[in-house]
Amino acid sequence: MSDSLQLVLQQSVEDVLEKMFFIRSLGDAEEGPGLAEGEVAAHLAFDGEPSGSLTLRVTRAAARSISADFLGTEEEDLSPQQVGEVVCELANMICGSVLSRIESAVTFRLAQPELGEGGEREEPAGVSARHSVEIGGGNVTVAIRTESLTVQHSYAGAGTV
Amino acid sequence: MAYRILIVDDSPAMRAFVRRVIDVSGFDASLCLEAANGREALDLLEKEWVDAILTDINMPAMDGEELLRRLAADEVLRSVPTIVISTDATSSRIERLLSLGARGYVTKPFAPEDLRAELERTLGEVHV
Repeated sequence: MSDSLQLVLQQSVEDVLEKMFFIRSLGDAEEGPGLAEGEVAAHLAFDGEPSGSLTLRVTRAAARSISADFLGTEEEDLSPQQVGEVVCELANMICGSVLSRIESAVTFRLAQPELGEGGEREEPAGVSARHSVEIGGGNVTVAIRTESLTVQHSYAGAGTV
Repeated sequence: MAYRILIVDDSPAMRAFVRRVIDVSGFDASLCLEAANGREALDLLEKEWVDAILTDINMPAMDGEELLRRLAADEVLRSVPTIVISTDATSSRIERLLSLGARGYVTKPFAPEDLRAELERTLGEVHV
């Protein structure tokens, strides 16, 4: 895995959670590549320079907690559809944030996120970077697979990831 | 502040979040209108007047770029200030959208005060 892409992914996950969900990470978590029982996952592909895909996995309890924060409502008032929409939006924002940080000039296009549960949505093979954080109610894990690219931004340094 | 704001986004969750930010920013969120894509927004604008439009870019049916082109081509609607809210912060995309007529650009993720400031700036330019 690339250290620079790993750093960008970490920054993006924490930035999106803090600004849009008002959640501060409780620390890094250890997560493997497999989708565990009781997790919700969202997957989206992207085209540009680079192309690739991103998979976000979150425990069901954490998904309900972040959905309540995002929508400003109580967890018991949330429908499964609302939780799914928020998980997809979270994946969309993290993916856009990562790509904006590694591409200073080239436009990218994100596909619509797709939702899966309990083994329906595994991480893609050949993951380039993965980051897991602990939040209230469980963990959020994001894995990204990219084709080769040259990192252009200053804080990640130049290199191929 | 009694402004009528149209929120255009294919994500119901994002529309709800933006409406919430508008509410806590001191605007009257009950006056907000919503559309799920550019086509729905144009249909709605045939019947309703709004003071500002907040639009996503990546949407099915009609995306935000096409919506900006249609608004710019309309003698009446071109005067409605439009702010783009997008995950895409690449310089080429921002420059293109501003050249198409967008008055402001807010990159996701954003802090609520960022959207509030952009709304106040844009509406202030129009309603001085």
